[in-house]
Amino acid sequence: MKEFEIGIIGGGIIGCAIARELSRYSEKTAIFEKFADVGAGTTKGNGGFIHAGYDPLPGTLKAKLNARGCLMYPELARQLSFPYKKTGCMVVGFDDNDLAHIRQLYERGRENGVPDLEIISGDRIFELEPEANREIKYALYSPNSAVTDPYKTAIAFAENAVDNGVELFRNCEITDIQRDGSGFLLQTPEDSYKVQYVINAAGIYADDVSRMAGSEDFHIICKHGDLIIFDKNSEVKMSMSLFPTPTSTTKGIALGTKIAGNPSLGSTSVIREKGDLDTYKEGVEQLLAGAVRLVPNIKKCKIIRAFAGERAVVENNNNDFYIRPSEKVPGIFHVAGIQSPGVASAPSIAEYVVEMLKKSGVHLTKKDQFLAVRRERKLFAEMTDEERERAIAENPAYGRIVCRCEMVTEGDIVDAIHSVVGATTVGGVKRRTRAGMGRCQSGFCQHRVIEILARELGIDPCQVCYENEGSNLLIRKLKGEGIS
Amino acid sequence: MKKDTYDVVVIGGGPAGMAAACKAAEWTQRVLIIERSSLLGGVLNQCIHTGFGLHYFGKNLTGPEFADLQREKVKKREIDVWTDTFVIRILPNRTIVAVNENGMLQISAKAIVLAMGCRERTRESIVVPGARVAGVYTAGTAQRYMNLENFVPGRQFVILGSGDIGLIMARRLTLEGLEVKGVFEIMPEPNGLRRNIKNCLEDYGIPLHLSTTITKIIGKNRVEAAEVSRVDENGKPIPGTERIIECDTVLMAIGLIPENELTSGAGARLNPVTNGPLVDESCQTTVPGIFACGNVLQVHDLVDNVVAEAEKAGKEAAEYALGEAAAHLQWSGGITVESQGIVRYTVPNAIRSSERPVSLSFRVRKGISGARAVIRSGERILWQGRPRGYKPSVMEQLNMPASVLKQAEGTITLSVEQEDAE
Repeated sequence: MKEFEIGIIGGGIIGCAIARELSRYSEKTAIFEKFADVGAGTTKGNGGFIHAGYDPLPGTLKAKLNARGCLMYPELARQLSFPYKKTGCMVVGFDDNDLAHIRQLYERGRENGVPDLEIISGDRIFELEPEANREIKYALYSPNSAVTDPYKTAIAFAENAVDNGVELFRNCEITDIQRDGSGFLLQTPEDSYKVQYVINAAGIYADDVSRMAGSEDFHIICKHGDLIIFDKNSEVKMSMSLFPTPTSTTKGIALGTKIAGNPSLGSTSVIREKGDLDTYKEGVEQLLAGAVRLVPNIKKCKIIRAFAGERAVVENNNNDFYIRPSEKVPGIFHVAGIQSPGVASAPSIAEYVVEMLKKSGVHLTKKDQFLAVRRERKLFAEMTDEERERAIAENPAYGRIVCRCEMVTEGDIVDAIHSVVGATTVGGVKRRTRAGMGRCQSGFCQHRVIEILARELGIDPCQVCYENEGSNLLIRKLKGEGIS
Repeated sequence: MKKDTYDVVVIGGGPAGMAAACKAAEWTQRVLIIERSSLLGGVLNQCIHTGFGLHYFGKNLTGPEFADLQREKVKKREIDVWTDTFVIRILPNRTIVAVNENGMLQISAKAIVLAMGCRERTRESIVVPGARVAGVYTAGTAQRYMNLENFVPGRQFVILGSGDIGLIMARRLTLEGLEVKGVFEIMPEPNGLRRNIKNCLEDYGIPLHLSTTITKIIGKNRVEAAEVSRVDENGKPIPGTERIIECDTVLMAIGLIPENELTSGAGARLNPVTNGPLVDESCQTTVPGIFACGNVLQVHDLVDNVVAEAEKAGKEAAEYALGEAAAHLQWSGGITVESQGIVRYTVPNAIRSSERPVSLSFRVRKGISGARAVIRSGERILWQGRPRGYKPSVMEQLNMPASVLKQAEGTITLSVEQEDAE
């Protein structure tokens, strides 16, 4: 039986960030992720905004962690080479009522320690974002707000953690937790693992995990959000993110830009069943109505993808993160209710959790050799022509374009499959390389991606899944089944 | 970067690209086809059904047979062909940057013919709500899996849209013993060719449900069912008409979009209605020396029409390359062609010379009977056709004699009008 000092349940951006932070120490750590990939649950369905920290109510855990997390991103992105773009953002107002809201956010931001906030009006708004609706009168301008691709950030954290000795188990759902001496036995359908401490970073399932261990009986409510991605060649080119003045439940429908340049729109907020990642017609309509107020030129016909995400909200917790040692079952640490601004806070949550462990008497020994840097090969699409020339000379696979919309080469895909936390699914390849993320949505390249995955993983093409088990794309050979 | 020069470079080696290259090679020496995949032929290679070439070759051919005849011509004309080569960008000065296994390539062309074809509309382009799971394919992707990759992509199919590829696939799946639960079309009339409705659906007893659409896709990891609803005359789902149809696969056959990312990168203006470039009667885009033909210009119904259009583009491109461009007036000159009323678009959008007849292609927005095509210049009627029916699923072609064009001043408009409207 494998034994670890610390077992992290959940390989989302939070679990992976904590694992990376813990990999600075000698104690053996493992991540248990039930899906086929890290960052493939709530992290995948996130809009990618790195909020600056002016939203949370002062005094909350959110307020404390968000502002710091946002400022940690630039250095982390350099160290771990994940996508990060400091676009800035504006919370816009149309009238004096909105202005009062904006002033309130400004004050909150100052209390929360958010630097460089400004309240602006008039032409300055349109200089910063030429696409903005000309009826906008006021804005809170936050230059440190940014965007990332959260799944890539999670992968980067996970790979760096693994480089530093963390073990990652994917397709590994913890189905039971038993006390075992001073530690715990984590049960999966096939195996069991012995750990001294459990970090519960199971996202929307954190309440189930807590109950499984006989720990606190908190309850998670899922706030579902629809999101939309537009074609890169949309007439609208967003240079930053625009938010309306927030309501009590959500920051409102924001129009921003993805790292790759696609305008993006999200998200709605409706309480739905746990695990419901369907997209909803009324959600999409609400998004478009919201977008038109911010940028009148945005066109429905340029939509290339709709998807959905979930926010894990711990009930009766003042709408705050729920990060604390279990009082009922010592040795278990809950990192739950990481709703927005979870992505922005991930790095500071990881620091906070490590401090919490130390304070709770968990012995952590700093390693002499910690690899802070993760090197990732540039994608072909991001290379200069000279870099491309060199890459092809080294390996002709970089000269074979597989995904035409996003210009992804066979070389990029093979790299993604054989990286430290490699892609094993079509979705995994897509998140690492962008193959299938463009306007044709994999219509032209999916067969090639399946072929390459099957070849590199030594499996039958019919075993290749889109995401998790049961999501096979092909049923069987058409002719000659059984004939080798 | 390796450098090369050609008279005419054709981008895309499908039926349009091959036809344009062959024609260009009749007039000029150095012709090159750049093709992304490893085999010339484009989508024809996966269209193993018949119905191709009735007009052009006078024979009823399969797609691969049609492509084969074209490939032979390309070979005979000694046209250079670079397969597995991907064009990254085209500059307005007709420099092409491409990539293949040998590295980066830079080609200077005297004239360029764009023949990149089109892509299929996806689930996303019409925002079908529901689960984001495996088992939702475009009809063409499923066709590729079956006919070129030798894989079955599902067992029980629901097909959304009655475009030709969807109809052909309904039959193809049925012939392979797979179950097609039905074809669902949001419009009150089918979208594909009449002969395909009969040969692919009626002959096999596959139900076609008009004024019906998918309102939700259901499933956990793979599609488990589709919810379909009837729609009202505005295409809006009618509450209470929902039905759940069990299936593991949904095919989208909801139309095609010309692939013009390279085109706009080269500086050519696009028609927002078709997503194809604006062209004159010689298929020249708004960038001098860059021509377009086939499905990259407008979505055709028949490959035979594609070839005819491509041959014209190929010849014009060759003339341009040979320096006979003097005949090609500036884009600002000549007659502007505008569509009116139920005419969705026209190709060309401008006519330079009223010395020669011009073939005008168009589609209507909705079906109409007993209607005339009318060409006006201002208030004056220059020409009108005999009354007949028009359908959105048919690409119409009008041959305008030079005598009509000579009477035009500035702009002509094309409309399709019912008799009683007069």
